Order: sequence, then structure tokens, then C-alpha cells
Amino acid sequence: MSSRRSSRSSRQSGSSRISDDQISDLVTKLQHLIPELRRRRSDKVSASKVLQETCNYIRNLHREVDDLSDRLSELLASTDDDSAEAAIIRSLLNY
Amino acid sequence: MNHHHHHHHFVPDFETDDDYVNANTNSSSSNLPRKPIIGEEEDGDLMELLWHNGQVVLQNQRPNTKKQPLSSSAAVKLHNGAPPPPLDHNLFIQEDEMSSWLHYPLRDDDFCSDLFFPAAPSSERQTSNQVTAARPPVPSSVRPPEPSSMRPPAPSSVKPPVRNFMNFSRLRGDFTGRNGRGESGPSIAKSTVRESAKVNPSATPASSAAREPDLTRRTDGADSRGAGDLGSKSAVDGGGAYTVGHNRKGKAVVTTERTSENLGASSSVASKSEIEPLETIVDERKRKEREEVGSTECRNEEAKQGRGSSSTKRSRAAEVHNLSERKRRDRINERMKALQELIPRCNKSDKASMLDEAIEYMKSLQLQIQMMSMGCGMMPMMYTSMQQYMPHMAMGMGMGVEMGMNRPPPPPPPFMPFPNMLASQRPLPPQTRMGGYPAVQASDPSRVYGPNQQFDPNSSQAQFSGYMDPFQQFRSLHPSQPPQFQNQAASYPSSSRVSSSKESEDHGNQTTS
Repeated sequence: MSSRRSSRSSRQSGSSRISDDQISDLVTKLQHLIPELRRRRSDKVSASKVLQETCNYIRNLHREVDDLSDRLSELLASTDDDSAEAAIIRSLLNY
Repeated sequence: MNHHHHHHHFVPDFETDDDYVNANTNSSSSNLPRKPIIGEEEDGDLMELLWHNGQVVLQNQRPNTKKQPLSSSAAVKLHNGAPPPPLDHNLFIQEDEMSSWLHYPLRDDDFCSDLFFPAAPSSERQTSNQVTAARPPVPSSVRPPEPSSMRPPAPSSVKPPVRNFMNFSRLRGDFTGRNGRGESGPSIAKSTVRESAKVNPSATPASSAAREPDLTRRTDGADSRGAGDLGSKSAVDGGGAYTVGHNRKGKAVVTTERTSENLGASSSVASKSEIEPLETIVDERKRKEREEVGSTECRNEEAKQGRGSSSTKRSRAAEVHNLSERKRRDRINERMKALQELIPRCNKSDKASMLDEAIEYMKSLQLQIQMMSMGCGMMPMMYTSMQQYMPHMAMGMGMGVEMGMNRPPPPPPPFMPFPNMLASQRPLPPQTRMGGYPAVQASDPSRVYGPNQQFDPNSSQAQFSGYMDPFQQFRSLHPSQPPQFQNQAASYPSSSRVSSSKESEDHGNQTTS
């Protein structure tokens, strides 16, 4: 980040209390959560790329959740409603 | 520079643009396509500020009428008249000056030709002699462009005039604040000078490499109009939406809009000397652009000689840097918005908290998926082979149950993530009745942001009522100890012997941890 920017944020820090460092920390954390970017482990991954990968990753996760929900529903249908099994499945579905 | 290419691109397009009307063809009808910035009457003639060949010129409706810079009276009239929509449309200045530039490619050849247009009208205004010292033709040339018709919003045409006005508006913006409408020229000029000097450094980097120079140059020409013009300009400026000088971090672009409007007015910055530095840099850039375009470089050359290369390089580098920086920032903001849309119930407006939420949401999603996939994998097995363990397994979470399933040969992979995820949270005694690991582990996720699931085969239905979206739970839990932990502890009646002891341990550990 340009020095100008950091100086700017520091100037605004009184009101916003959000600094570029803070944001970059969060971006780094985010990067570590994303398997695709985690391997890169470089400091050079741009925030823009991290954000983009995060969006993609979250979309993938959503899709997975939907798939798993479907599977669990099917499983549920095949079990006794009173069984513990069913209870487990339901709990998972309601998760 | 890419911008240059854009200009190049636009230049030919513009030339072929039918809407573009040559300044020479002055007819009332022909003026229409030119999108006069301001139409006004002066001396009984319909004077229009038209974009001509990328320059704003004040042109009489009558053919062959003098093209002269907008006089103060005209300027006043201009001011009175509502700014023409086309102008606003064309010159809408956005935060990103790039966008404004993009619409107005520079027509170098026209630009240059205009420069050499009549020096007569502007001769008197040659206060900017000093300014134009380096580029004598510039001011004169600039002035004629003003009277010339203004181009219609067509991209190519607008750009050069806008650029000229950059300096203008910047200056004017300042003036407007200070001088009000119709201020005397000299005072305005002074302020202009100050403004220009002030704006200079900022303007330089702000303007795009290609466009700024042109605009600046033109502005100078306009500036040289004289005090009277400035007064009119400032008046117009007052009407304008932008305070050029100070807006946009001193970006030249801001001024663009104003300038275009006031182009006819021609900033009356008499003291061109001040403006000169700003102009110089911008001009340098414009020069470079021109050269690239291949237009007549009379002005360019002179400007360059006058300025020297160092300032040009610096300004260009700064310009490039700013542009790329801005692009980068825009890209990041775009992504942030997209991310915000993906996160449910995200009402945070500031970046840091939004990123925080994103992180937590992702974690909870990952956890959820793990659990669900484990459930999918374990369910059939559970029912078939683990049934006898059910009562014991029914501690808290379904996850716990599945963990309990680990006794028989379980697929290790599903449990891998849990140890990794949860083990770090608290050291767990691996030897427990339930394989306490799973049981204890079960409590951890709930503590963090796991689901508030209590699995009790005996009262399977009743237990499920308190579920929360794990992410929500996490959010609510985040600030403090998770309440569900207590709930879970209380809800393990069947396995109270083991679980309660564990829970109490957990509790103790919880609080301490």
C-alpha cells in the first residue's frame, strides 16, 4: 500500500479505527482459510485475488452444503423416523 | 500508455462521427449535434459554447462569425443559462477521472489545428504570455478553440476540451468559493494563480497521462482569456456541481466538468505564471500524447522544451501510479461488495468487520460441511453396526455420535479434520469412557460456533428445537461464552455419568480457557 494511503488511514483512524494493517491482517487470515490460496503462502497474494477466491470458495461451500443436505434428506427418508439415526440426520440438516 | 491507445482509438472514431460538426459549419442546425455546452445570446448572436475538435469554442450561430472566447457578458449569460444537459452528460466527472477521460478522446490533429487558429481574439487576452512563454502558440490556439463549437458528447471530442478545463475548473473551483460570481478578473486571476499553484502538484499526478496534458494546455489557453472570463467562469462554476479545485483530491478531472462548461468563459487567470507549472507538467504529458497520436506537435515541442523532461517523467510516473492504484482499489471494492452479498445477514459497512464476518462464516461453513459429510458417511454404518452404542453416543451432538462410532473401524479421514480443528482448542484426555475425545470434542465446536445440537435418542425431537444456524450461533457466541455449552451439559441425561464429568471438566476448562 502506498504510504499515502497508510497515512490517510492513520489520519482517519480516529474516526474509523480501521487501519490498512488491520484489513490486511484479515485478508491474510482469509487467505489461510482458502485451501487454494493457502498453499501459496506468499505475501504477494493481492487482496483483490484473496477476495475473489473467497467469493468463489464460499459459493463452492454453499454448493457442497446443498449437496450434502440432499444426501442427508435421502438418508433420512430411508430410516425410521424414530431412530437415533434419523435424529442425527435431522440435526445435521438443521445445522 | 493504454490511455493513449484509447485516445488513438477514439480519435479516428470521432473523426468519423457524424455528429461531430466542424466548427466551420456554423448553422443553427449544425450546432445541435455539437452539443453546445451552453447556449447563450450575446450581442444578438447566439453564442454557443461548442466543442470543436476537442476544444470548447464559443461560436456564433451565424456562420463565419467570429470565434472568440466568451466574454464576461457572455459568460454571465452562460451562467444564467442552465448548463446544457449534454455538457453534464458528457462531462460527468466521477471519482475516477479515468472514466471522464475515456469518453473524450483527444483529437490531436484538430486540437493542434485549433491552436493555430485565429490569434486575434485572444491576442488581447494574452496575459498568459508568461505562461505561454514556453508555448506561445498554445494560448492563442487555445483561445480560438474555445469559440469553436464544442463537440457533442462523442467521446473523442469531449476529451480535449475537458482537459483544458481541468486547470480551469480547478482554478475556478477555488475562485468560486472565494470570489463568488462575476468576480473581477484580477482577483480571480490571483486566486487562480494560487489555485493553480496549489493544484499543480495534485493535478499532475491525478490526470491521466494522456489526457491531462491536453486539458491543461487548453485550460491555459482559456486562462489566458482574461479576468473577465474568469469572472464568468467562476459564475458558471458556482452553478456547477463541482468545486473543481478542491474536489477529488485535487484531481484535475474534477475540474474537467467545470471547465467544459466554463470553457467559453475562459478562466481569466491572468497570472498564468502560476498556472504555468501545472500546465507545464500537464502539457508535457499532453505533448507526449499528441506525439503518440501523431498530431501536429507544434505545441508539444514547445512545451517540452519549456518544461524539461524531469518533471514530465515524474508527473507521468505519478500519474501512472495513481491510475493503477485507483484501479486496484476499485477492483478490491468490487470484490468486497460481492463478498458481502454472499454472507448472509451481513449488515456491516466497514471493511474490517465485514472481513471478520466473512472469515467466521467461512469457518462455520467448513465445519458444517464436515459434519454433514461425516453424517452422510457414517449414517448407514451407524445404523447397521453401531446401534448398540447409540445410548452412549447420544451425548450432545450428532457429531459426538459419529465420533463415538469411531470405536469400530471408522474411516479415519472424517475424523481427521476434527482433531485438527478441535484439538487445538483444548487438550483432551484421549482415554475416556466414550472415547472421551469425541465427547469432549463435541463440546468444543459448539463452544466456538458449532451447532447447538443436543442429541438424545430418547427425546430426539425435543432436542432439536433449539438449533441455530451455526454461523448465527457463532456470531452470538462470539462476544462471550457460548450459552449452548451449558445447554449441552444439561442435556446429557442419559450419559450423565460420563458426560457430566466431562462437561464439568469442560466447563472448568471452558471458563479458564
